Amino acid sequence: MIAGRGRQRIRPPRRGLHGDEVDFDNTWVTIEAAFREIHTKNASRLSYEELYRHAYRIVLKKKGEQLYKNVHDFEKRWLSSEVRGDLQQLLSPSLLADPQSVASTTANERRVSGEKFLKGLKQAWGDHQVCMSMLADVLMYMDRVYCQDHRRPSIYTAAMFLFRDEILKSPLSPGDERDLLGLLNHVILEQIQMERDGDVIDKHLIKSCVHMLDGLYADDLESEDQRLYHVSFEKAYLETSRTFYHAESELMLQESDAGAYCKRAKKRIHEEEDRCRATLMESTTFKIREVVEAELIEGRIHDLVTMDSGVHFMIDNDRMDELNLIYDLNARVDDRKSEVTRAIQRRIMAMGIEINNEALAASQAPAPAPPPNAEGGDKSRLTQEKNVNMQTVAAIKWVDDVLALKDKFDKIWRESFESDSLLDTAMFNSFRDFINSTSFPRASEYISLFIDDNMKKGIKGKTDNEIDQVLDKAITLIKYVQDKDLFERYYKKHLCKRLIMNKSVSNEVEKQMVEKMKQELGPSFTSKLDAMFKDMSISHDLTNGYKNHVQGLGDRDPNRIDLSINVLTKTTWPLESLGGSGDGHEDNRPQCNFPAAVDKVKRGFEQYYAEKHSGRQLTWLPNMGSADIKAVFPKVPHKGGILKERRHELNVSTYAMVILLLFNELPADQSLTFEEIQAQTNIPKLDLKRNLQSLAVAPRTRILIKEPMSKEVKPDDKFYFNEGFKGSFVKIKVGVVATGNKVESDQQRKETEERNDKDREYVTEAALVRIMKQRQVFAHQQLILETINMLASRFKPEVSMIKRKIESLIEREYLERVEGSSDDYRYLA
Amino acid sequence: METKKKFEIERALATENQAISSGQLKEDNPLDTSETFRQFCEACRRGDLKVCQEMIQAGVNVNARDRHDYTPLILASLCGHYEVIQLLLENGALCERDTFQGERCLYNALNDRIRNLLLSYDYAKSTNPLQPLAAHITSLLTRPEPKTADITITTYDQSLHLHKFLLAARSPYFAKKLSAAPNTTTWKLPDKIPTESLAVATQYLYFSEVSMRRVMRGLSDEEELHVLNGIDKIGRQLEMDRLFEDITEVSDRRLLRQKRTDELIRGRDQLEVWFKENVLRNKVEVETAKVDDLKWDRHNSIYADILLRADDDDEEEDHVSAATEASPGPSESSTPPTRNILGLPVPSSSSSPTPSRRLRKSTIYPAHKAMLLRSEYFSTMFTSPFREAQQTPYLQIVTLDCSPKVLETILTFLYTERSDFGLDVAIDVLFTADQLFIEKLKQRAALIISTLGNGNSSTVESENPRGETDQEEMLDIYEVIRAGWDTRVQRLEEFGARYIAYRLERYIDTPEFAEIVQESARRVTARQETDTVELVDDIRYYLSDRFRLRFEDSGLDEMMDQGGDDADAIAEALEDLGVKDEKEEGGVIQKEVKNGGMLEKEIEEQLAVGAIRTLDGEIAGDEFAQDAINYQILLGKIDRLLENLNLDA
Repeated sequence: MIAGRGRQRIRPPRRGLHGDEVDFDNTWVTIEAAFREIHTKNASRLSYEELYRHAYRIVLKKKGEQLYKNVHDFEKRWLSSEVRGDLQQLLSPSLLADPQSVASTTANERRVSGEKFLKGLKQAWGDHQVCMSMLADVLMYMDRVYCQDHRRPSIYTAAMFLFRDEILKSPLSPGDERDLLGLLNHVILEQIQMERDGDVIDKHLIKSCVHMLDGLYADDLESEDQRLYHVSFEKAYLETSRTFYHAESELMLQESDAGAYCKRAKKRIHEEEDRCRATLMESTTFKIREVVEAELIEGRIHDLVTMDSGVHFMIDNDRMDELNLIYDLNARVDDRKSEVTRAIQRRIMAMGIEINNEALAASQAPAPAPPPNAEGGDKSRLTQEKNVNMQTVAAIKWVDDVLALKDKFDKIWRESFESDSLLDTAMFNSFRDFINSTSFPRASEYISLFIDDNMKKGIKGKTDNEIDQVLDKAITLIKYVQDKDLFERYYKKHLCKRLIMNKSVSNEVEKQMVEKMKQELGPSFTSKLDAMFKDMSISHDLTNGYKNHVQGLGDRDPNRIDLSINVLTKTTWPLESLGGSGDGHEDNRPQCNFPAAVDKVKRGFEQYYAEKHSGRQLTWLPNMGSADIKAVFPKVPHKGGILKERRHELNVSTYAMVILLLFNELPADQSLTFEEIQAQTNIPKLDLKRNLQSLAVAPRTRILIKEPMSKEVKPDDKFYFNEGFKGSFVKIKVGVVATGNKVESDQQRKETEERNDKDREYVTEAALVRIMKQRQVFAHQQLILETINMLASRFKPEVSMIKRKIESLIEREYLERVEGSSDDYRYLA
Repeated sequence: METKKKFEIERALATENQAISSGQLKEDNPLDTSETFRQFCEACRRGDLKVCQEMIQAGVNVNARDRHDYTPLILASLCGHYEVIQLLLENGALCERDTFQGERCLYNALNDRIRNLLLSYDYAKSTNPLQPLAAHITSLLTRPEPKTADITITTYDQSLHLHKFLLAARSPYFAKKLSAAPNTTTWKLPDKIPTESLAVATQYLYFSEVSMRRVMRGLSDEEELHVLNGIDKIGRQLEMDRLFEDITEVSDRRLLRQKRTDELIRGRDQLEVWFKENVLRNKVEVETAKVDDLKWDRHNSIYADILLRADDDDEEEDHVSAATEASPGPSESSTPPTRNILGLPVPSSSSSPTPSRRLRKSTIYPAHKAMLLRSEYFSTMFTSPFREAQQTPYLQIVTLDCSPKVLETILTFLYTERSDFGLDVAIDVLFTADQLFIEKLKQRAALIISTLGNGNSSTVESENPRGETDQEEMLDIYEVIRAGWDTRVQRLEEFGARYIAYRLERYIDTPEFAEIVQESARRVTARQETDTVELVDDIRYYLSDRFRLRFEDSGLDEMMDQGGDDADAIAEALEDLGVKDEKEEGGVIQKEVKNGGMLEKEIEEQLAVGAIRTLDGEIAGDEFAQDAINYQILLGKIDRLLENLNLDA
């Protein structure tokens, strides 16, 4: 073995690593002595280099196993003799006393001895960790080489296992079988219990012991779920907490009201969460919360919600905070918050039905008058009217009440329920349910009346903002209404009167309202309403155009009558409801005989209109119109004997004008009987009667004198012109009795509903045909479902009606049954 | 993996050439027409690991190209020498996708194994070989434990804890300033210079890749200018000319890489110069006995904070004296020193038992903990609260269990990332690196052993199927294998198996071989992984490799068919042998040895005559037949060896 060509050659490693033996025993003596120094905290004098080298050489010489074993045994001896002994010294009798009979020792005694024990353990653990990490530093080569090759846990890990086995799992004393770990758990739990009872404890101390448990494992594989903290302490902690909170919740239910309970429960939950953060492990937060919630909430929430001081009480007394607490508690254990939701829904229904009943009771308060028979007389009629007025008031009150209820719950929802969307839906459903409840069929009408009232009076003098709020409220209510078509019908009727009679405070607001409805309910809902507005504006233009036309004729007649006219499209306007007597059918609509002057103007306009729009037929509705008349009353002695001629401008209905004009041609002392007037004017009897009443009976506007003077108008009553009429104003409005929008009588309602049902039938048929046209062949069940869907935005159709309509369509050969299949239909083109 | 289209490569090449000629880009593969480089290319072509390693150590540029535009890497991958390619790549040969030469390598790769090897070293994935050093130095800026900083630089609102030796190495200004006043512990930066500028300069000093974009984030133009001015001022004051230029960012990936590479090389060279002129120049050789009298003040001119000690070998020559063999540690010299109760060696005056012997010497190297921390051993030592971590008025001396030469090698690696050492210390370096947990140096040592140790003849193994080697033994292959086992370097075991397989005739019959096989087997039982003997498996594998190459040349299948008959004959022959052996009971090995010794002579004779004979002396038909029979004979011998050793195979 000579170096070749004088070049470098490899040599065996110096100092012969093979063959020579290290003196294991001697080296071990050195190492062991050093380890002792480390354990007694004298490490700073030791040379790392030397210790490492010793261990390195032992491992290199394949004595790793022996070294490992020796270190292990050394550590085991150290723990079981030195450390365990020290710890046992710390166990005071009060600590060891049977947990069941703790009565003999005071809480303070137990706390002090417990803390002493924990401190000792913490110290022992800390020392152990420091020493072992130094040992591990020295034995690094062994860890890397021997332990890895032989799949041994590193010496540090092994030492941790030793601490578990030799310290924590060791018996308390030779005669006592309980182990230190059990005692540790017990002490910590006892301290926690003290804190729950209001004492102050050393959180850091406990936390460090908890960290120790978290760093140790129950098995030798260090699997994540085998941490001592989890398998030993946490289990006990959850168990004792469960028992504790179970008892506490029982006690609290008995002793405190729902609000106090909620506060306490929430505080407890927070306390436990804080405890996990400050004293225990964060990972327990979730588990303990589950336990506390299960005990304090889950099992109790039903009792809590329904108890006397529960949700019902809180709502009635506006306990927003408590509602919020109970909501929060419920939300913790139940995503759907069903208990609170149920309670809220029950309360809304109850309060809503109460409002309904109040409204019904109010509208029926004066015992319903017997149906007016022919001899009914003034009184019964008056009571009837009063009755109607009271119903209107009831309607408005109903709406106000509902809105107030809605406000109340909205506030609760915002302030206590964190604007929870599930509850929003639930509350919406409850409102909808009581508003549409079958025992209360008037919602649509009432809401429309509410709007009507506001349009005519309510919004006077309000700012835009306030008006907007009123409109929004109305819209909110409309959204609850299921039978939108019925509402539309009422609304149209009311709107119609407002428009024609010019009763609206502001046209702008009317349009706003329609605009809002369009946004909420869709343009199809408001198309008819829009058309009404359009008619109005066209009519306005028409009137102006006519005026210009007349002026253009050059026929300047100083006595010419100004004409202002509204042309209404017949299909758009609910004219039948305006017919007054309700019997005004197309064919027998009475044509009023206008005075010549008026008739001339009428014909003039007809001519003008026909020129502009050929093929359209105008039907005059004198019952809807009004007229301004300048009336001159003869001089009568005034105060102080001065004779004065009096001029008044009278605003009267068209019929009244016709009637009054009759007296123009009559000498002052002559009279006309009812029958004569009727014959001359051809005004329907009912209307005539009403107009005569307002002209001759109403105290402030007695332009005519009736003989005999009584409320009821009889066919042979005589009427004179009242020359001695006194009015305090120049302009006098002669109202016609019983116009305005009132709650319908039962009879009227029945008619309205009948009409509505008829409409529904048409709409349903249309929907059926539309669906079938698209599908051609369709099964019965699906057809019904789809129809209901299509109509849902307008009303809730009854299945029986749909079925009837299908039958009818089959009869009329729009559809046929598919042969061989029991319930399919085919569309016939 | 998609391959680039030809026109794409051509276009890339054109733009690259343009960039190079305009000076934007540095030529990655400069033309090298020297004779040395030609030889290097030749070695790559032939797959001669040893020559390759030698020439790389001698400093040949592995990324140059020859007059035919071939780079060593292309040649090696074209010729299919896996180990050579690995060697080249480990030594920084570039194979970057989307470059002309890189794509050529991939295109020319002989097989998929090589292709995948090349792809795994694509620059995008691999890192600069100096990166570990740089990363360590950068980490010193933020490392909390142990404390190694010895100077504090303050600006008006911040202070940075830095290392004097690094400042001195990197900045001529500091080198002067600190050598004038080595005890300086604080240095105040003028208030005008913003903290950000200092931060950038420090990062640069500490080899960090400075991202100006990150520094400037959230600064207004004015502040930005202020910071840049500050950097410029610092650069001028500290005489770091390239500071400003080097932190200027470029977007091009290759340019960035080249810049970074240059930067790192420059920084390393600075560090190396400083290391040589300060650390190495200040090493002290003292008599081992007097080592403990050596007092180095904590405040010294080269800012060392620890002393490392290595003792000379007891014997100058190779054969180890019996006295040394018995001694458990180096510091205890030939006789164990007296110990105090803690087992700590008491400074003893009794150094050498035989006064006649030349006095033993120790060498002391001053060093910096900051750099030693690269070894996990030292980082634990300086962190754990043992004596070495304590602050003492005089520097502590830490003994290393190796020769001064090895220690110097290790220090050189830790400070400069250089690891060019000879085969003579390779094994020692391997062990010491293992003890100190310096994984990269371990791998380097293994690499050097497995390349340089491959026999002096410089023959390529595949060209030598018949295991003909020169007689001189380059290394004790058994020691190498054992070292591989002890230090857990797989590469060495493989190398050893291959080394033996290619010379199996020489080893198969020796008792040492039987011993090492048995050792390998014992390792297996201890691990309980498999039932096979790893070393034997490896040898079998390389043996088949050795012979298969021959067969492949002439169509293996045909050969094997023909060989079937031969194999039968061999089997018969072997049976005869076996029968004979059994009769002789345990005398197998001697007999074989005799056989072998006889054979060699015979073969030589016969070679002279021109006849072709197999290992058992039979005359074979031709060389191929000879190979086939020799192969079978060797396998048979292995089997018998295992049988005798009672080992399953």
